[in-house]
Amino acid sequence: MRAVVLLFLTGLISACATAPTAAPPADNSASAKQSPLTLPIHYTTLDNGLKVVVSEDASVPTATVAVYYNIGFRIEPRDRTGFAHLFEHMMFQGSENLGKMEFVNLVQSNGGVLNGSTRFDFTNYYQVVPANKVETMLWAEADRMKGLAITQENLTNQQGVVKNEVKVNVLNQPYGGFPWLDVPAYANENWYNNHNFYGDLEDLDAATLEDVQDFFETYYAPNNAVLVVVGDVDTDEVMTMIERHFGDIEASVLPPPVDISEPRQEKEKRVSKVYPKAPQPALAVSYHMPERNSPEYYAMGIITQLLLSGKDSLFYKKLVKEAGITSSVDGGINLIGNMYNYNGPMNWHMSLIHDPKVSADDIMVMIDDVIEGLRTQKVSRDDIELARIKMRSGFYGMLGSSTKFGVADLLACFALFDDDPGRINRLEQEFSAVTPELILSTAREYLRPGNRLVLEVTNGNAQASTGDAQ
Amino acid sequence: MKSLIAGIVLAVSFAVPSAQARELPPEGGPARDFNLPAIERLTLENGLSVTLVPFGKIPKAVVRVDVRTGNLNEGDNVWLSDLTTELMKEGTELRSSELIARQTARMGGELSISTGLDQTFIGLSVLSEFTVDAIGLTAEALRQPAFPASEFERIRASLQRNRTLTLSQPQAIASSAFIDLIYPEHPYGRAYPSEEQLASYTLEQVRDYYRNNFGAQRSHVMVAGQFDRDDVLTAIRREFGDWQRGPAVLTLPPNIQSGLRLKLIDRPGAPQSTVIIGLPVIDVSSPDYQALAQMQTLLGGYFSSRITANLREDKGYTYSPRSRLSSNFRTAYWRQSADITSEHTGDAINEIFDEIERIRNEPPTTAEVQRTQNYQTGTFVLSHATPAGLLGRISFMNLHDLPEDYLDGYLSHINSISPRQHQEMAQKHLLTDQMTVVIVGDLETVIPQLENVPKLRDATRL
Repeated sequence: MRAVVLLFLTGLISACATAPTAAPPADNSASAKQSPLTLPIHYTTLDNGLKVVVSEDASVPTATVAVYYNIGFRIEPRDRTGFAHLFEHMMFQGSENLGKMEFVNLVQSNGGVLNGSTRFDFTNYYQVVPANKVETMLWAEADRMKGLAITQENLTNQQGVVKNEVKVNVLNQPYGGFPWLDVPAYANENWYNNHNFYGDLEDLDAATLEDVQDFFETYYAPNNAVLVVVGDVDTDEVMTMIERHFGDIEASVLPPPVDISEPRQEKEKRVSKVYPKAPQPALAVSYHMPERNSPEYYAMGIITQLLLSGKDSLFYKKLVKEAGITSSVDGGINLIGNMYNYNGPMNWHMSLIHDPKVSADDIMVMIDDVIEGLRTQKVSRDDIELARIKMRSGFYGMLGSSTKFGVADLLACFALFDDDPGRINRLEQEFSAVTPELILSTAREYLRPGNRLVLEVTNGNAQASTGDAQ
Repeated sequence: MKSLIAGIVLAVSFAVPSAQARELPPEGGPARDFNLPAIERLTLENGLSVTLVPFGKIPKAVVRVDVRTGNLNEGDNVWLSDLTTELMKEGTELRSSELIARQTARMGGELSISTGLDQTFIGLSVLSEFTVDAIGLTAEALRQPAFPASEFERIRASLQRNRTLTLSQPQAIASSAFIDLIYPEHPYGRAYPSEEQLASYTLEQVRDYYRNNFGAQRSHVMVAGQFDRDDVLTAIRREFGDWQRGPAVLTLPPNIQSGLRLKLIDRPGAPQSTVIIGLPVIDVSSPDYQALAQMQTLLGGYFSSRITANLREDKGYTYSPRSRLSSNFRTAYWRQSADITSEHTGDAINEIFDEIERIRNEPPTTAEVQRTQNYQTGTFVLSHATPAGLLGRISFMNLHDLPEDYLDGYLSHINSISPRQHQEMAQKHLLTDQMTVVIVGDLETVIPQLENVPKLRDATRL
């Protein structure tokens, strides 16, 4: 089920290694002391409103260029489900100076890899290239921010591609959209948060060139975007290039923000869904998250580690090791991203595929046993400390990756949503402030049964579940 | 068929002001050097290979041991090696799995153990100051697994579940059928055990498999990242120096089968056909291998490739077509795979065969070859830019007995391959009358379309 998380990509093939660390021979005497993480960050906003973040990192002779637009699938047009993602594909179909396939060819012929993805609150485009090619990429990103040149033929072609994407990732999969599309659909009340983000096939077919143009003009403007450059570059040189290529792009008038809030949930929701090809039943449990960046939000980060991270985690011990009803328990904050890269209501979730012998009700008893433990007893400072270490090493892994994409992603989101990319250097501090008392009060309020969705999946062949198919 | 070039011209004539008004992208500055670090290699008296790579700027180190045993060594007992490695995760004679999880978390890492066709892998990445502890833990997990009887039933049931789940996916069904046809009656061709077979395994069989296959001379300890070289070497000698020599490496060359064959597997109502087309080819030790690899990249191995441009960006038949070479010891095969919208299954297969014939009939352009080479060069830097990435490559070299200077000449070699060699490689190795084709899909929709696939007319139906 893990692979499903990556699905909102355009599918541009990228052969990226994702593993810790970096480049040329260094001496091996460096100290391993854990000092607080500090990345160099240069942050400015151009006159046209484009936010720019540059972070120098000479560990590998590459540069990562990322453009994030502040438009995700939450707020796509109501009769055009899946449009934000379809539109992301159109950004590769032609601009003023680059025809179809030419953007991709430009990146790959310069030895780079690339991708684009659509998420709840942004659409992103990034390239990792040899550092000497950074200006080539800035030019290309600026070119498509200036305007698109797309034909009906290109649109029809990408409607075919996207429909095939939905088929391969959802319709022809035994568990369809479980849990990543299903949980938001059932957990949330507001249409913006609960519609089909990948898109109904009919809605995808209904999209017109005019829709594409409107969407571009409304949301793809410098004052609705952030540009991030991370890598082996000189900040002053890169800023000059950025001014040269992006400085003249005109700002647009952005529509007023829509209301994406979710009402407080008081009563547990229980839903049952049938996937006829699913060989075993599955179960997902989801809770509404506290507000982003609040103390409780950071506490939920720690709680996620305690519940789900590693063979010493509470759910692993209870469900995998003791009960032996499943091979693994997946989950976390944000089903298609991480706890940092969204901006609005969010669902915490866990999911498992389990033996048909045991009913969802029985599993809920085990889950509640763990959850109620967190809601009634304080966890030890030692457990919190271990959870923090796990988060920190995950962080180091991201910093040491060869693509630097994880770093660019955080810088972009913190600039776009908080106007403060420097937050990346203060995350450790925020997690350090989480106390056993805060974990307890957060669990009491946010891990309430009334705040959750319980979603059962069966194949319809009279397994252990009850309830109507939806 | 419509080529990539035709597609671009069309777009230009429709919507872009005029071709001559187009601005060209800035070239960028001169390329920077990328130097691979010095690699230190040695062998202990008991036959254990050791590789040390001081590398990188982040205070972390990767400790990894490759053991030359995997599905190849399990005989007819499919997944016995998988069952063994899953049980090796359940703790050692000295420590429980939970304790190991907590201790490794404090080092900044997590122990990973897995198995492949030829090798078993064990290791973790830690903060540099814990490198020696990580070596000790890895040795303990490798040399003193507890194989707890209390966990056996659960682990076997868990593998059973994974098997069932994986085989409910069309891609896994197609893939296992394909390799079974390429490597009949050989462990390389047996991707999954039957449910009954998996259920029959005992803890005693696991212990036997472990005893008969693990030992120093089959093992290769690698450390990369920032670490103290002398401390690390001392730790490796201390932790592994007295390990018994163990069995020699097993070689068991497969029977390779090719020929024009078609295997159809029904998945009623499937919205897509999962298609694999491929055949056995030369292996990594052949002097032609890099040229073949580059040709297949140009043909279907990356986004700018011909088959992707055709099937996806021109026709919209599929989302993620991909070709690749898969290498095991002294054998390899090539395959193009794609999940194709059901009603265009026949059309897409025709396009794939046409693209193979096209590169067999004429060399690609210099620009296409250049683009492929630049892409390979760029991704080489990215994939070797981390200690773990570099260790992956060293492991590959070690498995295939490649010379120590293999990486030194790699980039100049791939940049010297000519368009004519691309054509030659396709002519020699991509024989369209020797392809094995597997289709998993809604056969009621698919079969009538196959009438219109000339290349498959004479295929042996399996």
